[in-house]
Amino acid sequence: MKPLDPRLIRRSGAARGFLAAGGAVALVQAVAVIGFAYGLARIVTDLVSGVPLTELGWAMLLLVGCVLVRALAAWVWEWSGAAGAVRVKAELRRAVLESVDRGAGEPGGTGRLATLLGPGLDALDDYFGRYLPQLVLTVVAMPILLVAVWLADPLSGLILVIVLPLLPIFMALIGLATKQVQQRQWEGLQQLSTAFLEIVGGLSTLVVFNRAERQLGRIRRATDAYRGKTMRVLRVTFLSGFVLEFGASLSIALVAVSIGLRLVSGEMGLFAGLFVLVLAPEVFLPLRNVGAAFHASTEGLEASGEALDRIEAGERADASAVRAATMQASATSGADGGAALRLERFAALRDGRAVAAPVDLELAPGEVVALVGPSGAGKSSLIAALLGFAEADGEAWVDGVPAGPAARPRAAWAGQQPLLRAGTVASNIRLGSERAPEALLEEAIAELAVGLDPAHLVGPEGVGLSGGQQQRVAVARAWHRVRAEGLRLLILDEPSSALDADHEARLAAAVRRLADDGTAVLVASHRPALVAAADRTVELREAARVAH
Amino acid sequence: MSRTDPATRRALREAMPPLPRLLPAVLAGIASGGSAVALLAASAWLITRAAEQPPILFLSLGIVGVRAFALSRAVFRYLERLAGHDAAFRQLAAVRAGVYERMLPVAPDGVPATRGGELLARFVGDVDELQNLALRVVQPVVSALVVLVAAVTGIAFLAPGAAAGLALVLVAGIGLALLAQHRAGARADRELAPLRGRLQQAVVEHLRTRELLVAYGAADADLDRIDGFARELGRVSRARAVAAGAVAAAVAAMGGIGAAVAIWLAAPVLSSGGIDGPTLAILALVPLAVAEVAAAIPPAAAAWRVARSAAERVALAVPAEVPPELPVPAVAPRALPDRGAAPRLELRGVHADWPGATGHDRPNALPAVDLDLGPGERLLVRGPSGSGKTTLAHVLVRFLEYGGSYRVDGVEARELDAHRLRDRIGLVEQRPWLFDESIRQNLIFARDTASDAELEEVVERVGLGGWMRERGGLDAPVGERGALVSGGQAHRIALARAMLADFDVLVLDEPTASVDRARADALLAELLDAASGRSVVLISHTPVAAGLVDRELVLG
Repeated sequence: MKPLDPRLIRRSGAARGFLAAGGAVALVQAVAVIGFAYGLARIVTDLVSGVPLTELGWAMLLLVGCVLVRALAAWVWEWSGAAGAVRVKAELRRAVLESVDRGAGEPGGTGRLATLLGPGLDALDDYFGRYLPQLVLTVVAMPILLVAVWLADPLSGLILVIVLPLLPIFMALIGLATKQVQQRQWEGLQQLSTAFLEIVGGLSTLVVFNRAERQLGRIRRATDAYRGKTMRVLRVTFLSGFVLEFGASLSIALVAVSIGLRLVSGEMGLFAGLFVLVLAPEVFLPLRNVGAAFHASTEGLEASGEALDRIEAGERADASAVRAATMQASATSGADGGAALRLERFAALRDGRAVAAPVDLELAPGEVVALVGPSGAGKSSLIAALLGFAEADGEAWVDGVPAGPAARPRAAWAGQQPLLRAGTVASNIRLGSERAPEALLEEAIAELAVGLDPAHLVGPEGVGLSGGQQQRVAVARAWHRVRAEGLRLLILDEPSSALDADHEARLAAAVRRLADDGTAVLVASHRPALVAAADRTVELREAARVAH
Repeated sequence: MSRTDPATRRALREAMPPLPRLLPAVLAGIASGGSAVALLAASAWLITRAAEQPPILFLSLGIVGVRAFALSRAVFRYLERLAGHDAAFRQLAAVRAGVYERMLPVAPDGVPATRGGELLARFVGDVDELQNLALRVVQPVVSALVVLVAAVTGIAFLAPGAAAGLALVLVAGIGLALLAQHRAGARADRELAPLRGRLQQAVVEHLRTRELLVAYGAADADLDRIDGFARELGRVSRARAVAAGAVAAAVAAMGGIGAAVAIWLAAPVLSSGGIDGPTLAILALVPLAVAEVAAAIPPAAAAWRVARSAAERVALAVPAEVPPELPVPAVAPRALPDRGAAPRLELRGVHADWPGATGHDRPNALPAVDLDLGPGERLLVRGPSGSGKTTLAHVLVRFLEYGGSYRVDGVEARELDAHRLRDRIGLVEQRPWLFDESIRQNLIFARDTASDAELEEVVERVGLGGWMRERGGLDAPVGERGALVSGGQAHRIALARAMLADFDVLVLDEPTASVDRARADALLAELLDAASGRSVVLISHTPVAAGLVDRELVLG
């Protein structure tokens, strides 16, 4: 696994800022550590040789000063880690959401995306808070400390230079040798770890069948099996930690003993010996911490990697979409005939195949056309294709603009799902047209017989409103958009499926009045009353039946 | 900091491994921490003594010590981690079993977590979190304290003044770190969690209504709103990092300040001849290693917060006493007469409520109802959501206590053993739970003696025969929480399970809730056909086709 995703540095200004600031802090911290070791070695050496403490005031000041600088560095690390994580998360979150909004790439399930953007990216907290600082320290501070040791005592420097690279190599070897064993073990672990959840979740079922009491033994057995397997994994996992600890303490011992032997023979002085002894553990510290935070690194990298994958996939899709759009635009320029909606052998595609037979249709302002067909015939797909939410074959123009993303500002649309958002009735209806006059909101509520106060609260997913109320708010929202933005096309998808006959009639009347004011209305429905209220009907037929 | 209620205390006590099991990890931890201190002490002594150029023989003890402590530090650390995890996992089995045992008298309706979803995942996570009490709190703190006390005592033999100074620095440093940590932790609990929830909710809503936002040109404005939430979260996280940074700073300064104080206090002793040079070097360097040992305490305090609130939630999730809304076992249960036919149910003025429901507005409470169900009859119970339909179902199988009179073949249900009642009256829940195992395992526990042929026959009867064969027979997996089957199929499997158990009376709670309206009647007809020969109470919030049921009871 890479320690750092280069894409993260390339794309995230916040990540670059964090690394730059971290590099500076690491530099200061390394100097403080050296100063501390120097001060401590100086004081002890001089005291032992009989210098009174009163003459060592400067060294004491250096010592304490360096301690404080180091404490300050620790404080800055913590703060900048938290701040960096927050900023990088916001950058990635926004970029992923923008890419999803453009419809680029595979959205692949709201739940999975929401998990990635929430708890998934939260793994970056530990990545920036615990792992990256140690990585920066390893890269920046460790070499500086090593040079200081080398200058004071080349032999000790040599010992450290030999031992240091061995540690990651040994860790990697252990990792390689045990990878397969680990993999095998983990697979079994997953099921054992959920055994308790399964029993608690299924408790009412178990009580129904009078089987709840027997599960006690099963819980114990499954948990014990879980322990056995986990411990087998851990015995190996902890080995790499052992190698780090062992390497670190062993080299300190090697350095100490070699210094001791050379001191006896008078080859070196006490000051250099103490200086190196204090410094040697500090050389290893960042590397040990990197090892300890390894888990944080893998989770954080996984999350940011998935986010970056999505962003990049979105950009690739964008690039090809732009090419397609320019080709289409050049092919269809000048095809506008003043119609609010025109379809020429237009069909929505699913997995590259037409959902329904191609449709020809021209909708003039003031007309109400019902789109009918059996359920599953592709009415909603056709509408989705018009607005660029689905692939399509053939040609279509919405108010003179080729169908697709460019057509969205030219049409108001209420889909099959009400898609209400948490807030108020007013905030839902005025979505996207927040500057429209208050009176228009009142009019929309009255016209569509919403029957709710504008300030009425709406919960997430429309909670608190009945199905009919939700639908009326959704249609009022589309109506409001037509009037606020002065649009010439309204598209409604099954707008009365949750309405009673009375409300349905009022909806039909409102649609008629809107059409009389010069708006074209396309309404997909299978309700006879609504279809009857239209000027004419267009039927969608299955693709296969008209293939020849 | 520790005003803990008795139930939480009990949960925490049960999470602690017995001393003999805890001891190996603690001892290994002491040996490892002690080795680290001793390694630095021995190295300091060795180097300073060597500088006095004695015959090398005098140094050999120091050399051996340095090498031995270097080795033992790493080895004992490895052993500590292994022993600690082993003890924690062993205790986990006891913790889970203990919690489960306490759940049984109030199961299922006294434990909201059993209703699945987020609550379930959190509850199970909390129970499992309890194993960290020993692993991340008690054991590291005990090991560190023992090493600290031993180190300070050891130094006291060399120079009492320096020992007192070091002790003071340690107490101040740890105290400061704990104080800052408490602030940071309290802040996270109070402010960070709600902000995080709000941000996540906004993201979910954006994704859910993405097409709407895009079509209405409101997507960018919504992203700005999300960014606003993120900025506010960032502000609070940075404020929290100020406190967390203080912890890190206190820990980082402890060693150096300890060294400075020790030198300052020991220098006069050196010049007066009370100690020699090598001893001074020990006094100057040992604080560095001691501080590293002490650094284990603040994280343990953070882990303590987490473990304690997990214990609080576990204690809260499982009521210690059976609430009045739940049935208690009959003292001298009467036997249910076996007349060879389905029992007759008679309810008069039966009302019930859920545990924990408070206030005037009690959704789902069952108002007084009268109901009769003769052998083989089919009754539809209808009503809007919140009218108490599921409550009635849970009364019928004695998940919930009731007021009024509920007689089974003339015997008051309260006087029957609930298990025996459930041998005759079965429930297929609204969201049946499927275990993450094979189809066979999901059926067999209803009747463990059933042969494969019997299992296949019952699967056939609920209309899943073809589906099952397509997937490779009884051994086909159903996936985690039934992920590999549709809602309708889950209901069919649950019904098959109920038929296998051979209940005389079947209560079907919204069996078509997860199926679209067009297919609902067809599924219902099939389910009722499969259940022929039994009494059925069918619960639905929508009307069903005429002819499927004999009678109808409307609630709400």
